[in-house]
Amino acid sequence: MNEKRVVEVLTTHAEGLIGRQEALRQINMTDEERGRLAPLFQLADQLQQSMQPVRPSAAFVRSLGKELMDNAKRQIALTKRLRRAMLIGAAALGSLLSIASVVGAVMFVVARLRARAQTRAIHAPAGRTGSAPA
Amino acid sequence: MQEENDAALIARAKEDPEAFGLLYERYVDSIYNYIYYRTGNHHDAEDLTARTFYRALKHISRYVDRGAPFSAWLYRIAHNLVANWHRDRSRRHIISLDELVTRALKRDEPAALAEERAEHDLLLQAVRRLPPERQQLLILKFAEQMSNAEIAEVMERTEGAIKSLYHRTLVVLRKELTHEWNGREEITERTSDE
Repeated sequence: MNEKRVVEVLTTHAEGLIGRQEALRQINMTDEERGRLAPLFQLADQLQQSMQPVRPSAAFVRSLGKELMDNAKRQIALTKRLRRAMLIGAAALGSLLSIASVVGAVMFVVARLRARAQTRAIHAPAGRTGSAPA
Repeated sequence: MQEENDAALIARAKEDPEAFGLLYERYVDSIYNYIYYRTGNHHDAEDLTARTFYRALKHISRYVDRGAPFSAWLYRIAHNLVANWHRDRSRRHIISLDELVTRALKRDEPAALAEERAEHDLLLQAVRRLPPERQQLLILKFAEQMSNAEIAEVMERTEGAIKSLYHRTLVVLRKELTHEWNGREEITERTSDE
């Protein structure tokens, strides 16, 4: 009996234990196989009997459910508030940046105009700006 | 009315608390069952189940569907919390309330029943000494009654790997139990000789 067959027989037996009898019928076990694997079948039977589903108490499920719902509501409200705050923050930052860029542009233009006026004053002919000849 | 599938509920749970509530109701029994068999008592099972769902709620907005069932994600959270619980517990010896009650009951029960209970306890203790993934396999198979294909999905392995892990687990468990029973018999014989 090779290992592949052992694995197949054992898992099919376990499927049978949890109510999937059709799998067990398909496997066609020989008596020799049944005898050799009997201790492992017995162990699987014991496991199945000892590990019955355990359910939490209804009171626990209800109270935890309520706590979680309250918490979820708070968490979602907080996330929404945070998102709104971030949106407002981003909008304020955007507005500030645009105001700053307009102010910057105006200052730049004024500075350029002043510089041009100064240059013109320096390079202008003396006659036009100086006093009358003696 | 057809039940809303997990993927739709998860997407909705990011904005709607009711959807998370439905996911909770769908999986609370399975997660509790898993944790109960990993810890062996109701008190810690309740505590760790609550922590599992609180953690899930905290991280649901970042949940990414990678094809594995949602339950696999919950089992992973529960698995990590149980591992931490075992680590903390190994540092200090704690006797749970359930254990104290069981000890008190054992004193009063008839011999045949006591022996049956001893066998049952021994088996579950041996299961709890197995590596975590083997414990998970046995719990999903027997306590949750999942098929090999379902277990493979939850444990993110192939069905073949699950089948062969089951075989190896049974062999190891049997060896362990035989060893344990032989040890007990030796002690009983020695005490009766004295």
